[in-house]
Amino acid sequence: MVSPTENTPTLAHQPPVLAKPWVVPRSLYVHVPFCAKQCGYCDFAIAVGRTDRIDTYLDAVRAELARLVPGGENEPMPMDTWFVGGGTPSLLSAEQLRRLGRELAARTPLVAGGEASLEANPESFDDEKARALSEAGFNRVSLGVQAFEPGTLAALERPHDASLVARAVTAGRGAGLSVSLDLIFGAPGQTVRSWREDLRRAMELGPDHLSLYGLTYERGTPLEKKVRGGLVLPLAEELERELYDIAMTTLEAGGYKQYEISNFAKPGFESRHNRAYWANLAHFGVGMGAAGLVAGERTLNTRDLDRYLRLALAGEETAFQRERLDPLEVAKETLMMNLRRVEGMVASEFFDRTGLSLDSVFGGGADALVEQGLLARDNQGLRLTREGRFVADAVIVKLLAGAPATVEGAYPEGAA
Amino acid sequence: MADRKLIRNFSIIAHIDHGKSTLADQFLLKTGAITQREFRSQILDGMDLERERGITIRMHPVTLYHQMDGQTYELNLIDTPGHVDFTYEVSRSLAACEGAVLLVDATQGVQAQTVANAYLAIENDLTIVPVLNKIDMPTARPEIVMEEMEQALGIKPEEVMAASGKTGQGVEEVIRALIERVPPPSGDENAQLRGLIYNSHFDSYKGVVVYIRVMEGTIRRGQKIRFMGRATDGVVMDIGQFRPSPTPCENLSAGQVGFFMAHIKNLLEVKVGDTVTDALDPAAEPLPGYREPKPMVFSGLYPSNNNDFEALREALAKLQLNDCSFSFQPENSEGLGFGFRCGFLGMLHREIIQQRVERDSDLDLVQTAPNVTYEILNRKGEILVIDNPQKVPDAGQIEEFREPFIKISFLIPAGNIGDMMKICTDRRGVYMRTDYLSPTRALLVFEMPLAEVIYDLYDKLKSVTHGYGTMDYEIVGFRAEDLVRLDILVAGRKVEALSTIVHRSTAEVRGRRLIKKMREEIDRHLFEVVLQAAIGSRVVARESIAALRKNVTAKCYGGDVSRKRKLLAKQAEGKKRMKQVGQVELPQEAFLAVLETGD
Ligand SMILES: Nc1nc2c(ncn2[C@@H]2O[C@H](COP(=O)(O)OP(=O)(O)O)[C@@H](O)[C@H]2O)c(=O)[nH]1
Ligand code: SF4
Ligand SMILES: [Mg+2]
Repeated sequence: MVSPTENTPTLAHQPPVLAKPWVVPRSLYVHVPFCAKQCGYCDFAIAVGRTDRIDTYLDAVRAELARLVPGGENEPMPMDTWFVGGGTPSLLSAEQLRRLGRELAARTPLVAGGEASLEANPESFDDEKARALSEAGFNRVSLGVQAFEPGTLAALERPHDASLVARAVTAGRGAGLSVSLDLIFGAPGQTVRSWREDLRRAMELGPDHLSLYGLTYERGTPLEKKVRGGLVLPLAEELERELYDIAMTTLEAGGYKQYEISNFAKPGFESRHNRAYWANLAHFGVGMGAAGLVAGERTLNTRDLDRYLRLALAGEETAFQRERLDPLEVAKETLMMNLRRVEGMVASEFFDRTGLSLDSVFGGGADALVEQGLLARDNQGLRLTREGRFVADAVIVKLLAGAPATVEGAYPEGAA
Repeated sequence: MADRKLIRNFSIIAHIDHGKSTLADQFLLKTGAITQREFRSQILDGMDLERERGITIRMHPVTLYHQMDGQTYELNLIDTPGHVDFTYEVSRSLAACEGAVLLVDATQGVQAQTVANAYLAIENDLTIVPVLNKIDMPTARPEIVMEEMEQALGIKPEEVMAASGKTGQGVEEVIRALIERVPPPSGDENAQLRGLIYNSHFDSYKGVVVYIRVMEGTIRRGQKIRFMGRATDGVVMDIGQFRPSPTPCENLSAGQVGFFMAHIKNLLEVKVGDTVTDALDPAAEPLPGYREPKPMVFSGLYPSNNNDFEALREALAKLQLNDCSFSFQPENSEGLGFGFRCGFLGMLHREIIQQRVERDSDLDLVQTAPNVTYEILNRKGEILVIDNPQKVPDAGQIEEFREPFIKISFLIPAGNIGDMMKICTDRRGVYMRTDYLSPTRALLVFEMPLAEVIYDLYDKLKSVTHGYGTMDYEIVGFRAEDLVRLDILVAGRKVEALSTIVHRSTAEVRGRRLIKKMREEIDRHLFEVVLQAAIGSRVVARESIAALRKNVTAKCYGGDVSRKRKLLAKQAEGKKRMKQVGQVELPQEAFLAVLETGD
């Protein structure tokens, strides 16, 4: 291990073996904001009805990457993972997908054996696009299924038709892509029976990976406004809990191992890109509304499409928010993210990352939680118990509240 | 030496808002003490807060010179506070006077404090000059109001002067009546010095400024004086009168009112009501003093941020310099940390003090529920003074549990008598009598526990009478009642700061209401939280807060991290500010639930 006192390395010139993965990005996130229509629960950075701007958008992505990787194509920065999310990236045509692959590879090429995912919606993903994706260097597709049951789809105000899911899965697999499905549970009106049915149909398609998200009523979304207006009744907390419980039990029984609060995979198919987030590692964030973490600095790009295009194309700063955290905040964030993983916060990783002992910062808050059976503690570190996963946020808050007001011996942020 | 026959000492007494301060300013204007330009309004209400709230709290004596019939009269006007909390200050100023202008708003008529203050003046043998004020207003009803004055106070209509503090109409006539009707002070300026200290204030440059009414003899600059009660001596450094700004003079003689300074550093060294005499030629007997104002309402005052404890102590000490009727001592509450138990004259006094501290020191404060002083006669025959429910001993040691009772008078529209009766009997009130001032207005008199009054009775009165009712009260003494300490337990632990003293008959209802309210304020925990209200070991009410069953962010990827961290960090900060009782976190609001009584 490199000693904590060593100077902050400059990004591009650091030999990958020496660069700390929380300083120098080994992951690239690209946001593609285009959507046909807004879903009821959606609060992502999206642009509805603007598909005419896709080509310009790809120009902008290229320009932003050029800014981030100043060494140019002669000094590219290799990436272990790519993740293209949205929005609906599958709204890109086959040709546009191929171009996207070229643009990313130019300065941030995927290493051999790397993981490259793209999010797709079933209605806009077919054989042709699957093949294009594969040619563009991608090897994984994440399908936004959300539900099969018509009642749930309607409650989510989600446009597609469940029958298209099988087509999309077949297309992906046919092109040699690893397939992941996203489902949402806890939608208004959902029952134990309809959720079991959704799970059954998803598993029947044999994906390599499943993400199951409890529905969140994000403020300002159409669905949340309906709830506030009394037009829609959210599920009872006890039922939500039961649905999550069923999900964990069913998937585990079907051979999918849970590795994060909402993520399950067949052995070896965990999303490496997302694991980098939960380990709180550095990553580039490119595109409208994208978030990056580079050398200890978090950046957030503008969420306005026209503004993003203008700034990126002009080679100007696209971030509207930048923040650098003090060591204690880094420690808190590291804990918060890592606890989402089934293996939890590993003490040695925490020390590598922060220069602090896990026990000295969060041990105080942990005692009662361990006693309550929500947290497990051993010499490896801290992790949520199965029981603790249902109330992960409250557990994290308890741990954060138990942290001292100041810490000594932490690394200056950004240090390797 | 001033000619005693040309001196008149008087107060203006009135119900709040009947125009006392405005009329006082007219006096200043008419006698040339201030100019028309300065006559903005209410010169005598010095403090911001008083002006804002329209309540006179501190008396500002002022000496006026008035020409009449070829003579120059010295008029000493002592403005008085108009709120029931400060009744004792009214009696103090009255003791320094021979007359009082009794002001009645011609649109509002006689109100509860009109009656109370008029009786105080009568008890002090003052000559009353009744004045009907605000006669410039179109809604004035002079005949009806004069009838009320006759009914309630026996004032003959032909004695009543009519005036307007606003336009100045009738003000000269009021001054004339004052001079003609109020007797000049008696007392011999050559006798041994006896001066009544009727107030004092602290000035950061000059130290303590003592307000004195000289009853006999003469006080001079350079004189060696003695405070008879305190048995301390001093030398008069400065002496003067407020005209209205402090104006030095050589001496003050029998009948005169003014101030002096004697190098006194601390207000506590001067006892209001004490007698000043000549140290070298002391009088044999002091003047009759005042009954000391005793704080009747207590509550804890805590800094929201525990680090502000010392700053709060300083702020309170500073306030006390000018308000001896307010007391404080450090206390420690399990729920709120370190703070002070403060004693106030009443609820308004309490509110004013809190606002003043917050304003002057920029501190954020939390107040606990107010309670009154109780007395307990224990089995050993000792009387314990209980200013804090936490001091109540075990029931087995209590022989008698006593609480302060008041006589309370309401002046209300006759149509509201039924409603008011119900409100009072619900609060353990004992009906005394009803007097009709006119077919439509009545004086309703009850005796009831002070504790039942301090929460919300005033608000109730105002709402039932649509703002037309007024009230006044005086303490009549302590009475034994069936009182108990109601404890609150959170997850099986007693939280001292939440204990209250209540009548046994209401304990259950109170307890239930209290923990219901707390239930709303306490966040759900990772386990079930049980709240109980208990008398001794008997639980009278129980509520539980269900455990949090699902609370987890479904999605957390790169773009969500900052927002999520801030959200959780904020919640964690919130928790830190809460008070830990065992594993349960109580927000400050839960402690304030004791304040909410509702119905
Ligand atoms: N129209 C009219 N208003 C008056 C008169 N005297 C006082 N007021 C108003 O009545 C309110 C209360 O007067 P103030 O002197 O503060 O009453 P205090 O509480 O007795 O000192 C103020 O708004 C005054 O302007 C008067 O003679 N006529
Ligand atoms: S497709 Fe996805 S990004 Fe687009 S509106 Fe629906 S939820 Fe939002
Ligand atoms: Mg006033």
